Amino acid sequence: MVEAPSFAVVGHPNRGKSSVVATLSQNDGIAIAMEPGTTRESHAYPLTVDGNTLYTLIDTPGFQRPRKLLAWLEAHSASASDRPETVQAFYNQHRDDPQFHDECELLKPILEQNAGIIYVVDGSVPYSAANEAEMTILQWTGRPSLALINAIGSDDYSDRWENALGQYFRIVRRFNAVTAPFEQHLGLLRGFGQLEARWEQPLTAATDHLEHQRQQRQTDSADLITRALSDMLQLQVTGSIGPTESRSAAKQTLQQRWIDSQRKRERQLRQGVESIYQHHRIQRQEAELHWAGDDDLFGDHSRALWGVSRTHLATAGFGAGAISGVGVDALTLGHSLGAGALLGGIVGAAGSYYYANRLGKWSMGPLRQGHRSVRFGPAADLQFGYIVLGRALNHWYQISHRNHAGRDPVNLATTGEHWISQLGKDDQRQLQSLIQRLCKGTTDGRRHDQWIQTINHTMHAFSQWQQNEATGTSPAQSV
Amino acid sequence: MPHGPLTLLLEFDDQVRRDQTQTALFLHRRDRRYALDCLANQQRPGIAGWLDHVQTRVPATSRPDHDSRLKPWRRLTLLLTPVGALLGMLTMLGLLFYDGNQQINVTVIIGFVALQLLLAVLTTGQALVGWRPWGKLLSSVPRGDDSKRSQIHPMLAQLQPQLAACTAHQMALAFAVAGWLTLIAMVVAQDLAFGWSTTLRTSADAYTGIVQGLAAPWANWLPSAVPSLTLVELTQFFRLSDAVGDNPARYGDWWPFVAMLWLTYAIVPRLLLLVFARLHLRFQARRLLRSHPGRQSLLHRFATPTLDTGSDLTDSGSAPAAPQQQELHALPAGDALVCWAGAGSEVTDIRTRLQQNAKVLVLQAGGTASLNEDQQTITQLAEHDRPAIILCRAWEPPTGELADFIRDTRQQGPANRVIALLPVGGETPLSPASDIQSAQWLRFVERQQDANLWVCALPAAPSAEARHG
Ligand SMILES: Nc1nc2c(ncn2[C@@H]2O[C@H](COP(=O)(O)OP(=O)(O)OP(=O)(O)O)[C@@H](O)[C@H]2O)c(=O)[nH]1
Ligand SMILES: [Mg+2]
Repeated sequence: MVEAPSFAVVGHPNRGKSSVVATLSQNDGIAIAMEPGTTRESHAYPLTVDGNTLYTLIDTPGFQRPRKLLAWLEAHSASASDRPETVQAFYNQHRDDPQFHDECELLKPILEQNAGIIYVVDGSVPYSAANEAEMTILQWTGRPSLALINAIGSDDYSDRWENALGQYFRIVRRFNAVTAPFEQHLGLLRGFGQLEARWEQPLTAATDHLEHQRQQRQTDSADLITRALSDMLQLQVTGSIGPTESRSAAKQTLQQRWIDSQRKRERQLRQGVESIYQHHRIQRQEAELHWAGDDDLFGDHSRALWGVSRTHLATAGFGAGAISGVGVDALTLGHSLGAGALLGGIVGAAGSYYYANRLGKWSMGPLRQGHRSVRFGPAADLQFGYIVLGRALNHWYQISHRNHAGRDPVNLATTGEHWISQLGKDDQRQLQSLIQRLCKGTTDGRRHDQWIQTINHTMHAFSQWQQNEATGTSPAQSV
Repeated sequence: MPHGPLTLLLEFDDQVRRDQTQTALFLHRRDRRYALDCLANQQRPGIAGWLDHVQTRVPATSRPDHDSRLKPWRRLTLLLTPVGALLGMLTMLGLLFYDGNQQINVTVIIGFVALQLLLAVLTTGQALVGWRPWGKLLSSVPRGDDSKRSQIHPMLAQLQPQLAACTAHQMALAFAVAGWLTLIAMVVAQDLAFGWSTTLRTSADAYTGIVQGLAAPWANWLPSAVPSLTLVELTQFFRLSDAVGDNPARYGDWWPFVAMLWLTYAIVPRLLLLVFARLHLRFQARRLLRSHPGRQSLLHRFATPTLDTGSDLTDSGSAPAAPQQQELHALPAGDALVCWAGAGSEVTDIRTRLQQNAKVLVLQAGGTASLNEDQQTITQLAEHDRPAIILCRAWEPPTGELADFIRDTRQQGPANRVIALLPVGGETPLSPASDIQSAQWLRFVERQQDANLWVCALPAAPSAEARHG
């Protein structure tokens, strides 16, 4: 079997080497910081399929003393043909020299594992001839190499860089470690495969697997979202009111429990989705940064963003699923006839309790020895289903499109057109009937597969919508 | 109670439920691993084997008791079977009640058997259709939140029609068998007088036709249990006649027919339907397992290779600590200005811009300069002892080469002179470094542990009149 290719990601300190590796290996645990010399040792990140390595990415420290290294090489080389050996000789000589610790660390994978070279530069700072020493050293190793223009800052000098790099590297590519979409990751990996003929096959295989994995992740997320939606809409809490208790206080406690459970369940869903996409540190970042300020499940903001219009609520179900939903629709219809709008004015002031009160169904048990059992839930307002779903989709979208080099908090803000307009009429109906069924609480999960399908479609629609938002070409269509 | 498929279904469902708390990545690795091991041993990965494989790793306490959830049904069946037997006995005693002046009516027995048969068929039909008249009742039991929610196992809930049919058939079988035994016992212990009677004006001929039709299944091998026309003619009775027969012995001759009737139309169909119900239950359980959402994902995990991108590996490095809050120094007046790596090369009249004396020496080092040129600069610097300023580009991270240069300058020149690093954020025009850029320079200086090495702020640009004045 052919030995799996390795790629050493090298360059000047603080140019995003670790970021490139983090994004490509989907590892958000790699230390990345605005500090030169963050990475002090080489680290290998192999991509394995069933335990067989297809390729390995190696993160390395940056060059600290390239001029000295080059001077040594020039002093010890007799002709152009002995350059690779001279580099090897340098490495042998200085392996234990603290002065060249970083240089030796970065040369190690190149010399010991015959790694290909990925040279990372920052296209947002001006090109400087001082980089030529590094590039010359890399050239001297004689290994196949590719240059990557990353962009840390907002300025753009990449054209100048491209020219300069072109004289040292056969392939020059631009790749923004933080913002590059997934397709570009695959493109870049295929680019790695172009460096040597025998590397093409493993890298093509790897990108196929990665692509497949991404699809699977979406399906897995759809499954999680479906289950959370189902749990949240069907959630019921029961309690009892004692003979001496105030009825409204007891109800409020019960409702608070319901609200807390809902929030907890949503958090659980988010963690699940993050773990599917291998983002393990987002919760911590979020907690630190309090980005969730107006991101409350029961807040006005959520309702405004993810709720659907009353007309949609009242009409989307008509057609195939209408008959099944008549019972629930009576309630919705009440809202659509203006009762909701009337209440809505008061809601703003009374806050989430009042809102939650409308959200769930109350049912009272018989009086037994002075105690009366009360139940709150399942959800009575279809709107709540849309809010839960909208929030889940948004979170999923952000997470699935987040590169592992990203260190900024997740930003969940959106405006404009409602995403549901991207969903086909049939799917809108399916979705409505799904939410209706869940609200009625008469499901046993037998249709789970079909629901996942529906949710999967909504995910596609949501992505489409997000991309339109980003490019500003949202079609004028109202919900 | 059936084992096998049902237990498998329940255990599988439990495992799937438990797996929901695991990460997708772990599940995929575990299951793919199992599938690969199976293939290596030339076996097909299957659900039963998979459960065994997975559950050996589950702590024994959390392992489900084999079919504790079937217990209610089992208990119900155990309870209902003797009840059925008792009822069967009592019913037969009632049917055979003979007060000495009127015969036992065979027509009633035939009717009763027909009713049994009808009920049996209905029970089976209900199980086949999956109709659960009591389903509403069960689902409207107020369910508590999360914990109490799954009192009725959702899989069992779906199998209820079939489970109910099994229990019903078994009870009815006990009923029928007990009835039959009672009949035989009565035949032995008493002399029973059977007769037939109907309000309808049926001739003995027609009645014979009916009973002989009913006896057709055993007519060939048990002719004595087939009532003859004579018997039928002889044993017709009417309520208002008190003719308790001229031939009392003949009234007892009905019993083989009655026994066979009961056996053939009450017991045997029940037995067959019970067997069928059990098979159906197993079939349903298998079908549920096949369509179980967890099974699809499991098979998918078996078939899809695990892909690991190296996302679990951590590197040893961690983000550096922030610099101990250091202020930038004001730029001192110096003797020499070193432009590191070409910094400030495009600035005209750099001395004035930095508010330095016009005689300040401007030197080059680093970047594209050779190491020899660096050394010359150091030698020149050694001849002065007032502060040396090193102008550098803030966005180019301070490297080992700069550290070496500073160290050599210090060693080869006056020991206590101030070396002032001046990182600039832009060159045309010269502009100060941003806070983020300064931070890395401050940390760099901290690492050098040199009290006379400063990071300095860019002096404000001299105003136009100052320049002229
Ligand atoms: N906005 C943006 N920031 C980036 C990008 N790539 C890297 N950065 C930032 O640049 C800084 C340095 O990134 P690292 O990946 O640690 O750089 P490095 O080359 O590994 O640095 P050393 O390990 O110190 O040599 C970090 O603060 C990153 O967040 C990018 O594509 N966009
Ligand atoms: Mg790094």
